[in-house]
Amino acid sequence: MKSYDTTIARRGAGLAEKKEKTSRRRMSRQTRENIFGYLFISPWIIGFLGLTLGPLLFSLFASFTDYNITSRMNFIGLDNFKRMFTIDDLFKTSLWNTLYYVLFSVPLTTAGAIFLSVLLNQKVRGMKFFRTLYYLPAILSGVAVYFLWMQLLSPSTGLVNTFLAWIGIEGPAWLFDPEWTKPALLLMKMWSVGGGMLLYLASLQGVSASLYEAADLDGAGVMQKFFYITLPMISPIIFFDVLTSTIGAFQIFQEAYVMTENGSGGPGNSLLFYNLHMWNNAFEVFDMGYASAMAWLLFIVVMVLTIINMKLGKKWVHYEGGDNK
Amino acid sequence: MKKGLIFIISAILLIGTLAGCSGEESVQAEKTKDGKVIVDFWSFWGSETRRPIIEKIIEDFNNSQDEVFVKHTYLPWGDIWTKNLASVAAGNPADVIINDINSVAQRAENAQSEDLSKYIDESFKNQFYPHLWETVMYGDKPYAVPFNTDTRLLFYNKDAFKEAGLDPEKPPATWAELEEYAAKLDIKDGDRYERVGFYPLWGSIGAASWMTSADGGKGFIQDGELYINTPKKQEALQWLLGWKERLGEKTVQSFEAEFGSEQSNPFIAGKVAMWVDIGTFYTQIRDYGEDMNFGVAPIPAFEKGSGNWSDGGGFVAEIPKGAKHPEEAMKFIKYLTGPEAQKYWAMKNYDNVANKEAAEAVVNELKGDDKYVYEASVKNLDQTQLFPVPVKYPDYQNRINPHIDSVLLGKTKPEKALAKAEKDVEKLKRK
Repeated sequence: MKSYDTTIARRGAGLAEKKEKTSRRRMSRQTRENIFGYLFISPWIIGFLGLTLGPLLFSLFASFTDYNITSRMNFIGLDNFKRMFTIDDLFKTSLWNTLYYVLFSVPLTTAGAIFLSVLLNQKVRGMKFFRTLYYLPAILSGVAVYFLWMQLLSPSTGLVNTFLAWIGIEGPAWLFDPEWTKPALLLMKMWSVGGGMLLYLASLQGVSASLYEAADLDGAGVMQKFFYITLPMISPIIFFDVLTSTIGAFQIFQEAYVMTENGSGGPGNSLLFYNLHMWNNAFEVFDMGYASAMAWLLFIVVMVLTIINMKLGKKWVHYEGGDNK
Repeated sequence: MKKGLIFIISAILLIGTLAGCSGEESVQAEKTKDGKVIVDFWSFWGSETRRPIIEKIIEDFNNSQDEVFVKHTYLPWGDIWTKNLASVAAGNPADVIINDINSVAQRAENAQSEDLSKYIDESFKNQFYPHLWETVMYGDKPYAVPFNTDTRLLFYNKDAFKEAGLDPEKPPATWAELEEYAAKLDIKDGDRYERVGFYPLWGSIGAASWMTSADGGKGFIQDGELYINTPKKQEALQWLLGWKERLGEKTVQSFEAEFGSEQSNPFIAGKVAMWVDIGTFYTQIRDYGEDMNFGVAPIPAFEKGSGNWSDGGGFVAEIPKGAKHPEEAMKFIKYLTGPEAQKYWAMKNYDNVANKEAAEAVVNELKGDDKYVYEASVKNLDQTQLFPVPVKYPDYQNRINPHIDSVLLGKTKPEKALAKAEKDVEKLKRK
């Protein structure tokens, strides 16, 4: 009996020892796997350090200098930042233009995309056709679209104004009138909300039908169902969309570069966006230090807005897990 | 087995990245197999018409050389400047590059190009038009050699002149005559214009040129002084606004909407009777105009004797700072800007070139209308000015243009707008 016990005990000890051995081996294997893991992602790490983080830190440093790429790099403290607010009038113009664009484009395109996706979520015959139709503009790429819209918005021969004339409205000069250039861009953006629409459509289809059935039993109307079920259920997607499109809107550049004469941001600097002004400073005037400072200021502005967005998001975004208290 | 595989894959990935980093430099040879020094020449002439012309010039040069071999690298317009900047900063630039004539001083100031004074003597310099040579000088030293240029002329439709009872051999010489002729050349159907006599902001000319012409040829910034808010410039701006008001915003816009394609140029289509453009515009008339009966003249003067000022641009050949073979590069530049290559370029491209001897040889060789317009353009170079970017005010145009726009949109009075523009530019001044 005793001997039996000891055998078991001994065997147990042996097992434990074996276990320890394998776990030690597993540990070392894990380290090895880690090393291989890093090796596998090393192309990315090298790229990140050399092509992203390095230049990023370099531009942070350059923003405190009068760096001109080829011959100068003197430390000038906060002079670049002072210059933005005291000397450079176009800085204010460009910041204002960009803020205007963000302020209008984000709510308009978000609301437009949600509205469209709700319409396209109805169960009607031929819906696939309409979904394709409204998504199509989103697959066309940048410059081609801008050229198309320059034609459409042509003051006297463009389709937009021709159409407006049919219904008795004399259309504005769009891209030629400083008051109408930004609305013209917004119109163009509204036309291509298809990408966002697709995102919302997917999330709308994920909203459980049982919620609507319950609401029906309680006698809820269409609007009530939309505001109390649909919107809260897709709010995480709205949040994501608002966040990314705000950041994207701050980066607006190509539109102004392509759609204005000589990429100047005209007429009357009405399309001189922040990034266009920055680009001019960097590559037309070789004021790379100043341009770097502008880039970092924009980064700070966008970061602050994103943090505010995140904080506000907690108040209105509904997560089904219920752990966002 | 597995371990070995993983190791090999990682190794391949790593080596791949490293190889990707080093890339071109190691491949780039300095010499050809037969021992000639390779000169890397960057241009943006990649079009069907221009590429063969520049490559023929390069080939001719290469055939005449025992020591130098020029390799042409085509970079698209827009890419070429940023790429040049990056390669100068990296210390590995091209040996010769074609660059914009109006920013030579700016690049010299920023140490992006080499000082060429040790390769250039008086007789070499004297080959070129003086107004072009001025632009390549920075602090008494040449930093580039002018290659080509352009100038603006008044093209007018002789048949339209006859129709309107004007003498087709007597183009307008002053602004007053220009207005008088234009009114006679207009054809209106009710409110709609079928033909516009003239509009000063169409073609290849802008408000700044008219303002300069009114001011006795004085630009916005001359010798470091600002001449933006001058009475004559205000007057010119008011005059430009007058044209717009006469035609009406709608007419101006509907005509402008059609300017897109070359085939339907409104002057060639007979919709505009007088038109300011560069000399090369003639090739469009020749190719699409179906024997159009036209004339060319200098741009009318503000008033009698105030000068038929015109302005121009162009390109230069320069050696980027830090180029490996400046001496060999200069050999090629000398050929490129010499009479033989310049004449070939001018004949084939119908372009104004910087070399005086070449330009005159072209005038002698051309015939008919080809000769008539080219000769006029060469003559016009005497009254053509260039407005290089001032080193102390590099971004001045972006400050002035919005104010000019605002006047032409009828939103601000010229005096007020130009006063504001001058103040804005003053603020910009670099030390």
